[in-house]
Amino acid sequence: MNDQTQSRLLRWAALFLFLQSVILTLSPAVRERAWDVDYRLSHWIGFLAWGALTFLAHRAAIKYLPDRDPYLLPAAMLLSGWGMLTIWRLDETFGIRQSIWVGVSILAFILALRFLPNLTILRRYKYIILSGGLLITALTLIFGTNPLGFGPRLWLGCCGVYFQPSEPLKILLVIYLSAYLADRASIKLFSFPLLVPTLALTGVALLLLLVQRDLGTASIFICIFTVIIFIATGKRRILLSSTFFLSLVLLLGYFFIDIIHVRVTGWLNPWDDPTGNSYQIVQSLLAVANGGTIGRGLGIGSPLLVPVAISDFIFTAIAEETGLAGTLGLIATIWLILARGLIISLRASDRFRRYLAAGVATYLGVQSLLIIGGNVRMLPLTGVTLPFVSYGGSSLLTSFIALFLLLVISDTDDEEPAELHDPKPYTFLAGMLALGLALSALTTAWWTIVRGPDLLTRTDNPRRSIADRFVPRGKLVDKNNLPINVTEGKSGTYTRVYLYPELGPITGYTHPVYGQAGLEASLDAYLRGLQGNPASMILWHQLIYGTPPSGLDVRLSLDLSLQTTANQLLGGHRGAILLINADTGEILVMASHPTYDPNKLSEEGEALAQNPHSPLLNRATLGLYPIGTATLPMVRARFGEDQPTDEELRAYYGKLGLYNSPVLNIPTASDAGNEDPQTLRASPLQMSLAAAALSHRGVAPAPRIATAVNTPEQGWVVLPVLSQPFEAIQPRAADEAALAFIQPGRPYWSHVGQASLDKTIVTWLLAGTLPDWKGAPLALVIALEENNIPLANYIGENLLDTVLNQ
Amino acid sequence: MSGSIVLALRLATALALYGFLGWALYYLYHEVQRQSQALAGRRTPGISFTVKHGGGGSLYKHFAQPEITLGRDPGCDIPLMDDTVSTRHAELTYHHGQWWLEDLSSTNGTLLNETPITMPTVITSGDEIRCGATRLTVNLAEDVLIEPTQRIGKNENG
Repeated sequence: MNDQTQSRLLRWAALFLFLQSVILTLSPAVRERAWDVDYRLSHWIGFLAWGALTFLAHRAAIKYLPDRDPYLLPAAMLLSGWGMLTIWRLDETFGIRQSIWVGVSILAFILALRFLPNLTILRRYKYIILSGGLLITALTLIFGTNPLGFGPRLWLGCCGVYFQPSEPLKILLVIYLSAYLADRASIKLFSFPLLVPTLALTGVALLLLLVQRDLGTASIFICIFTVIIFIATGKRRILLSSTFFLSLVLLLGYFFIDIIHVRVTGWLNPWDDPTGNSYQIVQSLLAVANGGTIGRGLGIGSPLLVPVAISDFIFTAIAEETGLAGTLGLIATIWLILARGLIISLRASDRFRRYLAAGVATYLGVQSLLIIGGNVRMLPLTGVTLPFVSYGGSSLLTSFIALFLLLVISDTDDEEPAELHDPKPYTFLAGMLALGLALSALTTAWWTIVRGPDLLTRTDNPRRSIADRFVPRGKLVDKNNLPINVTEGKSGTYTRVYLYPELGPITGYTHPVYGQAGLEASLDAYLRGLQGNPASMILWHQLIYGTPPSGLDVRLSLDLSLQTTANQLLGGHRGAILLINADTGEILVMASHPTYDPNKLSEEGEALAQNPHSPLLNRATLGLYPIGTATLPMVRARFGEDQPTDEELRAYYGKLGLYNSPVLNIPTASDAGNEDPQTLRASPLQMSLAAAALSHRGVAPAPRIATAVNTPEQGWVVLPVLSQPFEAIQPRAADEAALAFIQPGRPYWSHVGQASLDKTIVTWLLAGTLPDWKGAPLALVIALEENNIPLANYIGENLLDTVLNQ
Repeated sequence: MSGSIVLALRLATALALYGFLGWALYYLYHEVQRQSQALAGRRTPGISFTVKHGGGGSLYKHFAQPEITLGRDPGCDIPLMDDTVSTRHAELTYHHGQWWLEDLSSTNGTLLNETPITMPTVITSGDEIRCGATRLTVNLAEDVLIEPTQRIGKNENG
């Protein structure tokens, strides 16, 4: 029955890992949405090695331990195989190494089963075991290195093989304490027999903390010591004093050790510094959130964004790629191991074995809780490994020693369990471990389900720009469907190409480092496919790819041929041009100079931001220029030859909309706070609306620039107008004023005004069609940041001649 | 297309993981069931006493239960009509494969082979228990001496 249970559970574990391996093989096809890709195959070596060695371990366990616990081996094998495949997915080199370590650990496990039939020898040589362990750990103080070349020097190494003595030291401590306490009939708290181990432990813990700065391992030592003493004595006071000691250690670390201070601060306030000290934890939470319910699938998420994903943050990597389903299963598997460990301890035939099993279970439990809790921001981050799962030979070997000890102790046949004086420590320990695991599960679920959607829209979530490389972004086209900004390349290497770079300040950019600006930012939801696509399609794509569906094309009201003319006319001068349909509000031309090339943002980004002439600024909507005499035609329309008071002027400007920011798809500005109409400033867009009123019987139109979106179901769908047209001038007065500014021999009115404020001179040109114009009424505004009336007239005449003779 | 196939695989993976856990839970349940049946099937080996009252009368009693009480109280398993015996005088229990004798703070004490006992003490066949003026000679059934516990379910595995 025992053997059958173990064999069937191992088969389930093998099936799970087999399916994971298949997913990893297919993952490139899913990422690139194509079949013609390089499939990942190398991890099958690891899977096959795991299968063969697991079979050997299974046979050896049946042979040498006929009455062992049947759950432990399958659970441990599931975890170690899962960790190995995850590591293989993250980094093939480390995958090979981890597979070798899994092999070494399983072989060591089998050899131990063969040559260490009972544990009496461990009990007899407890002092040699402990002092040996301490000695080797002490050697790291002198010869210690770190395989990464930086960080705590906890390893002993030579020739590419590294070993971390503090890992097996945990097990050695458990063995020593169990043997020491089992040799004494009754133990009193605060007595001499307890003094020796207490001092030894305190020394080791403080050494680890102060010299190696390893808070995690120090805490594990304190926890193991506490639990074994608690189980041996049944005294609750030990818990109190250990909690006190643990808090003291934490406080000491917080105030005197930089790395612990950083980690505790990062734990308490991660959102204060998400790109610096809290980078790891914030990225970890983003990865957990990205996992969702069933995860992205092995090889399809982006867990490598989290630093040290292979060891410290392997739980996060698992959460991202197998989701909440996976993490809950992982936590349940850990609970299976811990619960069986405690039952084995209770059934043990003597006190040594009982303490040993409880200590081993505590070691596995506390270490798992520390790192899972650290990954999901339940506890401060401590760099310990997840037993059986994380990368690392020392950690894996120690985990398998723990498995070996538990299995040997479980093989008691039907011997009566040793006497138990007090069941309290066991109920307490089991309760605490279960509570801790349940809390980690709840915290993981909280970040995944409750906070997940919010987290994923954070701008520091790099998954958005990664998705942009794999999903085509929608095009921006002009009113005649000529492309302006397009996405080129193939899945995996999509890049945004700006075919008409002079429009840079208006259409903006989308960039992995500099983010988004202009229309690319404001129309992002359509261009990224998150709006306009059917909700079911968006959900489906999120589910299978973890990205939005293909983006939708957006049509702008701009006319590229007129835009080209305007850009050429404005040339190297600083200023803005705005040509608007006075009836529909569609903006035909929007030019802002100086301009920049969004295609070269990667190289020039920093310089552009520093440029004193602000090429990134959209002068047409955000540039506020003093209006001076530019509004003369409108003022005439209202007041005739009379000189209006400031009060009247202010009210009239308000009516013309000069105090409001027009509503458009791109950011607009107004000088709303300025009470003095003589120094009022306005943007070319505001002025164009006022000029349009003069050419359209006094009604200022609602401006539009994004006019339609190409949806998969209904084709081109008109985008809603964002504001309402309003009557700015009396219709008759508007017509009369327009006629008063008529240009001889031409079908339009125009007026050139100037303004100066703070030593800057602005030349304005306002123009528009006449009331009897048969075509679409138009209004033109030119703003030049220089004293250049001839240029303003030249641009105005050329542009209007072109557009009106079309 | 590849996405749909992998989605099916992802669901299958989750199913395999929970299949593992489900079977583990099923076996745990099964283990509880087997253990309870095994314990229910485990019988306390019989014990019998030859009771000699102070007055001279003699009586033979046999028990097959794991707890036996002695005392003047008529509710006791071995009621002793003797004024030197306390109401609930002593108790015999079977655990850890042994019969244990424990004095229940009686007035005159319980003696095992003429030695007063202070803590639960293992008894064997032929031992003489004295409560007040009453003497009981213990006679354990044979199977107790052979094997303290039985290897239940052992042979099924093969």
